Formats: sequence, structure tokens, C-alpha cells
Amino acid sequence: MNTRSLTRRRFLLTTGAVASGLIVGCSTSHAKSVGYAPVVGAFEPNSFIQITSDNQVIFYLPSSEMGQGILDGLSTLIAEELRVSPELIEVRHASLHEDYKNPEMKMQATGGSNATRAQFLPIRQAAADAAAAIRNAAAQQLNQPVDKLLLADGQVLADGQRYAYSEFVALAAALPVPENSPLRSPQQFDQIGRERPRLDALAKSTGTAIFGIDAEVENLYRAVVVRAPVVGAAVQRFDGTAALQQAGVVDVIELRHGVAVVADSYWRARKAAESIEVNWTQTELAGWSSDSLYQEFVETLNDASEKGLECCLEGEGDKLLDQAEHRVSADYFAPYLAHATMEPLNCTVEIDGDSCAVYVGTQSVQASAGAAVYYGDFDADKVKMHPAFLGGGFGRRGLGDDVAEAVEIARKTGRNIQVVWSREDDMRNDFYRPPALVRMQAGVSNQGIIETWSVRRVGPNIMDHVLDQWVDVLAPDYLNKGFVDWLSKFGYSVFKRFKADPSAGDGIYNDYDTPNKEVRHIPRDPGLRTGFWRAVGNSSNAFFKECFIDELAQRAGIDELAFRLANLQNNPRLKNATQLVAEKAGWGKPLAAGHFHGLAVHSSFGSAVAQIAEVSVEGDKIIVHRVTAAIDCGTVVNPGIVRDAVEGGIIYGLTTALYGEITLKEGVVEQSNFHNYPMLRMAETPAVDVHIVASQEHPEGVGEPGLPPLAPAVANAVFKATGQRLRHLPLRLS
Amino acid sequence: MITFQLNNRAVAFDLDPDTPLLWVVRDHFKLKGSKFGCGMGLCGACTMHVNGEALRTCTLPVSAVQGAAITTIEGLGTPNNMHPLQQAWVEHSVPQCGYCQSGQLMSASALLSKNPNPSDDEIHAAMDGNICRCGTYGKIKAAIKSSAAAMRSGALAESAVQSFDPANRGVES
Repeated sequence: MNTRSLTRRRFLLTTGAVASGLIVGCSTSHAKSVGYAPVVGAFEPNSFIQITSDNQVIFYLPSSEMGQGILDGLSTLIAEELRVSPELIEVRHASLHEDYKNPEMKMQATGGSNATRAQFLPIRQAAADAAAAIRNAAAQQLNQPVDKLLLADGQVLADGQRYAYSEFVALAAALPVPENSPLRSPQQFDQIGRERPRLDALAKSTGTAIFGIDAEVENLYRAVVVRAPVVGAAVQRFDGTAALQQAGVVDVIELRHGVAVVADSYWRARKAAESIEVNWTQTELAGWSSDSLYQEFVETLNDASEKGLECCLEGEGDKLLDQAEHRVSADYFAPYLAHATMEPLNCTVEIDGDSCAVYVGTQSVQASAGAAVYYGDFDADKVKMHPAFLGGGFGRRGLGDDVAEAVEIARKTGRNIQVVWSREDDMRNDFYRPPALVRMQAGVSNQGIIETWSVRRVGPNIMDHVLDQWVDVLAPDYLNKGFVDWLSKFGYSVFKRFKADPSAGDGIYNDYDTPNKEVRHIPRDPGLRTGFWRAVGNSSNAFFKECFIDELAQRAGIDELAFRLANLQNNPRLKNATQLVAEKAGWGKPLAAGHFHGLAVHSSFGSAVAQIAEVSVEGDKIIVHRVTAAIDCGTVVNPGIVRDAVEGGIIYGLTTALYGEITLKEGVVEQSNFHNYPMLRMAETPAVDVHIVASQEHPEGVGEPGLPPLAPAVANAVFKATGQRLRHLPLRLS
Repeated sequence: MITFQLNNRAVAFDLDPDTPLLWVVRDHFKLKGSKFGCGMGLCGACTMHVNGEALRTCTLPVSAVQGAAITTIEGLGTPNNMHPLQQAWVEHSVPQCGYCQSGQLMSASALLSKNPNPSDDEIHAAMDGNICRCGTYGKIKAAIKSSAAAMRSGALAESAVQSFDPANRGVES
């Protein structure tokens, strides 16, 4: 070893230490959105990790961070296997690439609460292989046996000396990257399972986190879109003369679905938009109001000729209903809901001839890029994606409609364009949680065993509308547009005639041991577009199922907890969570005067959640004082984030249970902003205690499973308090 | 021409005087920490301090702040020099999506500047205009309380030292 290399090593050791010192506490703060960019001199073992010659570890986050904590979760996995402090990892939102596809969904998207489950092993493997490569390079460079080298805190420990990883990146880059390197065992975990403040807390507490809406590019014009009052209508004719004369307005153009006003500032575009009069085409939806929805659904359910599509058929189905000692039947209803993410939809497009850059917070970089290709008529390799933090997702951000109109405007005007939807635009042009009317029937023995479980439900599908969006933006670009349009409409016929929409049956029959089950779904769609909404089918099906379970227990004269436990023999995780929540909340023990407990339990997205709501009623007002929850989600990466996600689901669910309802009058969504689509505020927020079942099983979902049990837990408590069985959402006492 | 102080810096704006302060700050002065949420003053994502008062700036025309002192989240503290509330926000791991948190922090800091020991009801009243869709209300409340307690105990410790300082004997603290 010559003097020169020793000097170089000392130099690197020093700079490595200094760089680390500078980065502490803010390395992940901005989550830069630059996409994968090769770094000169860096070791780049795969698409996820770069280790630079100045000892910076960069992680390309393949999933969208919308509050659920996946930035923290996946960075923790990298830290665990690469043996670096998670606070020192610089996280960047990954741009579009095959390697960032979610392994379960086979597309680059974030949803279905599966980002940790699906990536728990591959992300760790990527980091473990990178660590092994550094170790091999160090062994060769230091002329030491590889098993004498330890990795810790971003350093190689050899013979009592510490060397920054950066010292070995040049050699590591020249050697083959090992594959299938052993992963650390749960007994070795010192990052996975550790509780610490989430990595993006600092950026999000100092206004420095960059969301899609914060994009700024040179020569940026702002567009406001005048949208049809009835979603789906198109422009017949419009007069933009007055708007064009207003200060700062540069373009007024017709779009597929509206008129865009482009100006040099958002406010000028918004003001000018008010002067535009549009004649819209008539659509079928314009003749329809939601006050007839319930009656239409009742008539459909009562029509015996409507057999519906099978979601589930086990044992004798519903044939033995009449033979049961107790036969119980009840109809339940849930309305349309909007997502109301805090950040309204928006998209910024920078256009340069035949290429463009898209800045957007999206649940699917792939669908967003596809929207730019399809609606902006760009070649796929001419679209560069700049994903950002999402100001809430909940299933709304990933259908590409935000990108579609921004690229359309940029293409037609040739300008760099930012479109920020107003709250009214966002609420009235959503892909709504579908309503449903459900006839629950069960046969129960005197001992409280559910013998037959029958569900007949009616409501709109989700897939019809989602496929209509997705086929357009996800179809390979060698397919011609006519074929793609045909394909997207084909979805309608599949789920209308042949196969039940998967969301229709989500969670409505799986939890309890019942030998005979039959669930059938009758698709009926007034035409308002629907989509994924936090917990999807579970969001309403858990309400139907868990309120009905209380009805069964009460009919059989058995305590609601005991009834559930007796029927959960084959569902140990949910049974265990149920027992835990009962113990923690003190089920059956005296409460403050006028306070009542309601219990609901539900498995979704691989996790089991049980909740007990403590409720009182004053006049017609429902007050939720405390919610106790227990979750079994397998291995926990950061317990604080699991508790936050469950609490978040509870608060989101309580807004829905108490207030959530989207209604239509002659096709127009009546709600427009937070005054008529109210949100839970701090004073109404219950205390929430979340208990996590210790587990070394594979991790499961946490972003959504906290929501479904909340509404039925509250409704079940309201029944105890008032004797009123509220079978419609939102919960309203009469 | 409308002039005002933006985070202790004199600024001037000479476009449409009815432009809401939020858009002037975000798009003209490029401070992106304050957020647009509803455009009707209903959600609080746009909250800034105007002469120390927490106001919704998505409905506040810039002409109304002529000569005023405006503080945004960027002026409250920086990643390297955080306001005690921002520190508490990080320690309590308050944010989820984070979009509403600038507004939450501006409402909370206006409260604590006037009321160092707010009751639950006072916190609820001060924070009532700020919506969080992720459900961080419980943690926000806990962070406000711990931050208030820390600020109070800091002040109390200081006064306690003074009262035992012989040089200050007999001085009311």
C-alpha cells in the first residue's frame, strides 16, 4: 500500500464524516424529484441505490408517499440491510422505469395497502446485495478476508479501523454485484421495528417538502378549466371573447371536457374563467337525481328475476336459510363519497417541442406518464416524469385525468402549463366511492353459530370506470387508439354481465366461519363515475357486515364479543385482535354515565383490525369519545407509523360515518366545498389508542385496514345508547 | 403598488390588487410552504400571520395587507433553526401527507404567542379552522401542549434563576 492511496483513504474518511455531519436531520427532507440520474464515480448496484464517492447513499423510492409512511418504511429496509442510518439516506422519488413496478400489481403504482408487503423482500435484497458488494470490494482493496469485515453505520470495520463505504465504491462498481446475499434475520433487526420520528417529518413541518402543486418551471402559465356541471358532458359551443380581453389572458381553448383559460397568473385565469359561457351537450346523467337512488335500488333487490353476479358461493349457499333457528334479514345502505384530498388535483407540464416533463403527485407514475402519451400525443420516450409528495391520495390520484388535461392544454397552446383544480372542481369531478344497497340475511343457531350467510347487493361497479381510464393510459403505445378505446369499453361488458366487480364482495363474507355462504352483486349504475376510495369495497361492506353481526348476536341473545369469538374459530388473527381490543378497552366493564361501547372487527389488505368505539348521544348528536383499536399486520417496520395509519383510518372513517354523503340533482354533484361536505375537526376528534399485535409474520397492509371497522363500531354503540339501529350511512338519529 | 413585509423583508406587488395573498406569496414570491386547499377560507391550509394574527390568505386580497407584516411557514423557522412548535412536530412525528401542516403550525404558533398555557377548549377553538384529512389532530394537540409546556418551563427556569440570583434579591420576577 503506497503513501498516495493512504492519503486518499484519509481524505475520504474525513470527507465522509463531514458530509454525514452536514446531512444529519435533513437528508430526506425534500425528497428530490429528479428521477434516476447516474452519478459519476458512484457505485450503482441496481435501480434503487447509489453510493457516491462522497459517501452519500441515495435511495430511489419506487412507491408514492401520500402520508402512509412508505418513504420511511422502505428507507428503513434499505438502512437495515445496507447498515446505514436511515436519517443519512437521501430519498428521491423514482421516475418511470420497469424496475420500479410494484411486484404484486405488475405496474408502477401505489395502492391496495401492499407497498410494504410486496417490497419487503426485494428492497431488502437490493440493499443486502449492495452491502455485500461493498464488503467484497473492501476485502479485496484492504487485502483482508471478507469474513473479518463488519459493516456498521455506513462504514467498513476492519482491524479496528473504520472506512467510509465511499472508499470502496470505485472497486465495487468494477466487480460483479452479488445476488441473493443473505438477509438479516428478525433477531438481528435493529432498524426494522424501531420507533423513531418519521423521516419526512422535518420537511413537512418546515414547509420545505415539495408537493406536485409546488412545481415551478420557467415561463409557466396557469390554466383554469371551466368544467361541465354534469360530469361527462362535452362543449357544444362557447364564447371566450370577453375572457380573452382580460389582463394577462393569453389563450382560451376548447378541451375534450371543458374550456381552458390560460393566463400569466392563477388569479387572472380564474377571474377570466367566470366570464365564459358554455353550452354543454346533454348526457343521460343530467336527467337523474340521487333522491331516487334508494328506491331504484330497493326495486332492483325486490325483483326476483335479477339474479346478480356471484361473488361467493360456498356449501349450500343460501338454500338452508329457512331451516335456521333464527333467520335475520336487514337492508343496509351507503352513499356516494368524494375523496377530498387536502391537496386538490393539479399537474404541471413543461413542453419542449415533441417532448415534455410532467410534475405531479401521483399514485401511479406509469398511468400519469401514459396519460401524457395518450392525451398529449407524445412518444413514450419523450415524456419525463417528476413525481412529488402527494397531499393525500386515498385512491384518487392515479387515474391520469389530472395529467390528461394539463398535457392537452400544453400541447394545444405550446406553453408550459400548470393546472390547479379548485376545491369545487375536485369535489365535483371525482371518481366517487360507489353507493350500495345490501340485503343481509343469515341463519343462526340457538347456540349463536352462523349457519348460513347471504348477501344480495346492488350498486355501481368500480372497474367499469377505472378500466375506462386505465386502458387508455396503460395500453402499450403500439396499439392504435381505436382498439384501445374499444378495449376500455369492453371492461363494462365484462363486469356488467360475466364477472362480479371484485370490490363488490370485498370483505363482506370472508371473516366468519360459516359453512354456507352466498354473495351476489347486481350492477346498477346511474353513470356517475366511480373509483378506488380508501379501503375500496371494505369501506362500506364492513359497515354492513359488522352491524349485521351485532343484530345476529342480539337476536340470539348473546354478548356481541362472545358471538364474534365463537364464529371466528378459523380466523385466529382476527380473533386474537378482537380479544386484545376487548381487554384494552375494558369490554363489559362500566363506563361513564351515558357512554356506550360498540365493537366491530374486520380483516382487509391482509391485516386484522378490531375496534371499540365509546360513544354518547346528546339529542340527535353522536359524540365519539374514544376509539380503541388492535391491529395484527405482521412484522412492523415502524410502530409509530402503523399507529398513525390506523388512527388516520379512524378519523377518515369517522368523517364518513358522521357526515359523508355526495348527492346529485339533475346530474350535478350538490356538494362543492367543505361547508357542504364537512370534515371532522379537532374538537370532534376522539382519543385514539392503537395496540399492535406482536408478530414475525410477513408484513401486511396498514394504510387502509384501520378505516373499515370504525363506522360499524360507532353505529353499534349508538344502538346501545338509543335502541336505534342505524342501517344507513351517514349515521343520522331521528 | 402594494408594499408589505414578507418574513421581515420589504416586498412590493404591482399586479391585480384583488389577488389573494396566498397566490402572491406562492406564485409571485415563490414561497411554496403555504398551501391552497379550498379557496373559501374553510380549511386553513393557507394560514399565515398578518401582524401576528393567523388569517386565511386564500380569500384575503393582497390590497388588504398594505403595510402589514406577513409571516409564512418559511418565516416561522427553518430546518436548521426550527420554531419550538416545529421541533415538537418532528418529535411527535405529527405529519402524515403533510399538506395541511404549514397551516396547522401557523395557527398553533399564533395561539401560543398570545396564550402560553392554552386549555383543550382554547386549542380546539384556535385550531378549528384547520382541516387535516390524514387525522393528525390528536398528535397536533399533543405537540402544541408539549411545546407550550417546554416554552413555559424554559421561561420559568429562567425566572427561577433570577429570583435566586443575589444581585436580583428583592426584585419581583
